[in-house]
Amino acid sequence: MKNLFNESPHSTPSDPLSRVRINFLFIFFIAGFIYITAGLAYRQLVQANEIMVQSDNQIKRVVIRPPARGKIYDRHGYTIVDNRVRWSVKADILSLQPEFRQEYLSLIRKAKSDPTVLKINYDALGEQARLNVLNGWLDKIWFVIDANTDKPKRSKTASKLPTNRDERTVNRLALRKHLTESRALKFILITDLAFPGSENASDPDEANRTVARFIEQFPQGGPISLESDMVRSYPYSTMAAHVLGYIRDSTDLPPNVDDFTDLNFDNLQKLRYTGKRGAAGIEQTFDPILSGASGWELWTKTSSGYNKELLRSSEPRQGSSINLSLDINIQLAAEEALRAIKDSTDNPLPGAAVMLDVNTGEILAMASQPTFDPNQLVNRITNKYYNEIENQGGWLNRATQGQYAPGSTFKIITAIAGMRNHVIDWDDILECGTSFRVGNRDFPEHGGEAFGSVDVEKMLTISSNVWNYRVGLKLGPDLLAKEARRFGLDAPLLRMPPSLSNPSTTELPYPTNRLVIPDPAYKLRIGAGPWNAGDTANMSIGQGYTLTTPLHMACLAASVARNETRTTPTIIHDPNRDGRHEGATSIGLNKDQLEAIRSGMKRCVEEGTARSMQIEGLTIAAKTGTSEYFKNGEKAHLAWVIGYAPADNPAVAFAVLIEGQLDTSTWGGKTAGPVAKAMLEGWLQENDKD
Amino acid sequence: MDNNRQGAKASIIALIVFIGLWITLPSTIRRLNKEAFSEFQAPAIQLLSKSRDLARYWELRSRSTEDLIAAGRDLARINATLELKLHAMEDIRKENLRLREMLRYPNSTEYLTVVARVATRDTSTWWQRMLIRKGRNDGIRPGCPVVFGNRVVGRVTTVHLNISEVELVTSPAFRCTAFLEGDDPPRIVHVSGVASNPFTTGRAKVSIIQADYTPPAGQVAKVITTGLGGVFPTGLILGTLEGGVTQTAQGNLKEAYMVPSKNLDTIEEVSVLVPKYPTAGEILMSPTDRIKLEEFK
Repeated sequence: MKNLFNESPHSTPSDPLSRVRINFLFIFFIAGFIYITAGLAYRQLVQANEIMVQSDNQIKRVVIRPPARGKIYDRHGYTIVDNRVRWSVKADILSLQPEFRQEYLSLIRKAKSDPTVLKINYDALGEQARLNVLNGWLDKIWFVIDANTDKPKRSKTASKLPTNRDERTVNRLALRKHLTESRALKFILITDLAFPGSENASDPDEANRTVARFIEQFPQGGPISLESDMVRSYPYSTMAAHVLGYIRDSTDLPPNVDDFTDLNFDNLQKLRYTGKRGAAGIEQTFDPILSGASGWELWTKTSSGYNKELLRSSEPRQGSSINLSLDINIQLAAEEALRAIKDSTDNPLPGAAVMLDVNTGEILAMASQPTFDPNQLVNRITNKYYNEIENQGGWLNRATQGQYAPGSTFKIITAIAGMRNHVIDWDDILECGTSFRVGNRDFPEHGGEAFGSVDVEKMLTISSNVWNYRVGLKLGPDLLAKEARRFGLDAPLLRMPPSLSNPSTTELPYPTNRLVIPDPAYKLRIGAGPWNAGDTANMSIGQGYTLTTPLHMACLAASVARNETRTTPTIIHDPNRDGRHEGATSIGLNKDQLEAIRSGMKRCVEEGTARSMQIEGLTIAAKTGTSEYFKNGEKAHLAWVIGYAPADNPAVAFAVLIEGQLDTSTWGGKTAGPVAKAMLEGWLQENDKD
Repeated sequence: MDNNRQGAKASIIALIVFIGLWITLPSTIRRLNKEAFSEFQAPAIQLLSKSRDLARYWELRSRSTEDLIAAGRDLARINATLELKLHAMEDIRKENLRLREMLRYPNSTEYLTVVARVATRDTSTWWQRMLIRKGRNDGIRPGCPVVFGNRVVGRVTTVHLNISEVELVTSPAFRCTAFLEGDDPPRIVHVSGVASNPFTTGRAKVSIIQADYTPPAGQVAKVITTGLGGVFPTGLILGTLEGGVTQTAQGNLKEAYMVPSKNLDTIEEVSVLVPKYPTAGEILMSPTDRIKLEEFK
């Protein structure tokens, strides 16, 4: 066949223009090829790491796991804050997807066949489907736990587990929150299987039975699993609750373990399990030490945001332990005795008790009433429990945060100030009538009694007011205030030792900073007008504007026992503590003067106002006090006793305060004395053991 | 040649169709099929097991009369000792019942005992499963504990008419709660088997041991059933702790390995403890659990 165009089919175009075009196309394609190759090479060789990181960021995530908290021991090594195993029942949402889907379709079918439904809300049906499926599983779990195979004879001590429906259904809001914020993690169906609902904590046998039933009977390998972690436990319940504090939920977890830094996790999405942080007491101030180091899990994730495959993990590390200076036997004795002081309606009176080691300043007991049970706050704080404690005033640590007029216990300061400033000497006798006139007002002796000739020793024994009015007025407010400040009655206490690298500045949180040692300048500052002689008389017997705490008064007793001005209290036990106290100097009394003070305090217990706390075989030096305060606008009494023992060789110092009620007769020795006695008996028992 | 190719093609198509059909079949039919296969296989397994027993019988027949007399004498002594123990146990049982009655303490689960011979064990699942020669016809139900004396062997997982599958304590699928000897007061721990190959020793892992637990000095601590879970009776021995107790990486708990109390390698006969009443777990595992669950409530 003839070629119509007279050209070979495989020939190259002879037209120069065509050749140029072909060459141009050739160069264009070559350049494109080089561009693509170079681009790929650049990405492979230069940008590889960056792209890998970007890829990882999209397909991987880190799950941070909280550590178990460190334990807290008393001075003898008894565990006072522990961790117990918490068994949680969790649902794997990813494994449940087919069930969700099936239930969802079933709900849609029902909705479509229902003529009353005008518009189907697919989102609501999806949520309902998830709830139905999870509630179905929850029913099965409770069915296994509740079931009693001993049908013929049902136990009379049968399950004490909660029958409250809230504990047995999935909370819609909790599920919604979980799916929004942390769907990759398993959904918690039952937080604490052994103790479902902290307010309904069952006994240990029942708790063990519940867990055992689930482990042995619930079908395994499905979407429901039992996981264990450690949760805070306070074995002595309310004991030292204000010192120990409590914990609360937190996703602000402590820093991670060292090998976290090996991997570049900075840009990865992070999910955190809920951990715990200290919310009060030692749990709060020593949180960095107790909280340990978090663990982590590196997961790949699905496109819908669920965890897919665990690539690497690192276990969390438990926090360090702390040894407190508390002695559980003395602490328990103090709390029991405080609980026994009741008002006319048989409710315990609010109060506080402190006992210190005279030489080291270590706090052996610190009790505050009313109190709370930190176990009730471990999983969550219920409004009911919070309000109950709030209404009782139980959150306040009265030993460090309560501000009280020291009453007659302040007379020790007045006597010391009088002797140091040569206003009076140890053997000077003052005639004390039934009252003392200051300006236009008669200031009464307590009990309306005239004590006659009174020296320092007798004054402390019988707690004469008139003696103090006279000495106080001779001294004046400035010298009285100066002496009180020398003993640190308004100084901040429990400051964290700088050796402990801890961001908290105090050993116990929020100690009161509103302590008052009044003087004329103070009165003007608060707008109460100029100082008058009546204010001085009041101040000399620890009334008026003076405000301090039971811990400060215990420190005063310890200082007098050591013949020093300051005691540095601490709640941390250190067997090598040297017994030096910050800012402490000698009181500055001669031997006779000091002996008069000590002897007066000793006689106070032997024959004076503190007779109620006598203990056979133990000499005690003490000073009682009954001050007035206003409760709901009406006058009530504060009962005080401070002191130390043994009187001849002091080892422990104490202070007890009881807030009296309006309808109760509250007196220092009578009301507070038995608490101090109980603490001393507790200390004696411990001493006998040693 | 073409015919061969066509034949091969037809076979492949048939295979694909079969697989497709199998995949699309409802799960009930597939389960029935599996059950039917197990029942079909059961007589062969029983025959094999019985022939092994027969061989053992003839082997014993070949022993000398003196050997048999000596063995008989030994057995008679053991028998006498056991009879004495039996009497003592009966007294203890009565005392126990009396005390429980006094304290109104809940009765422990009552069991019927079914003795069964071991039929066969697969090498690939040596430490996981074994088949026993008793099944549904003998009253065995899924979930029943399997013991030898007072030692736990495992738990029944699947029951056929005349044979049953037993999950051994060394199987990762086995789990139960236990108390540790020397732990006072006793706190529950978790026991679960560990995957092991047939040529090593089967073991189980004991976890959630409290950090302050230390095994009794100078003796190997026993792992004992709690009786709290409603499946295993209380006080059975699961095994003994092997190689001490170690702290977990977290540092707040301990864990240990456990060797089973009965030598599972040579076991030939077991007892299945069948609870008098079905446990909640059994009811849940049955196909119509929802109905029964409502009934139970």
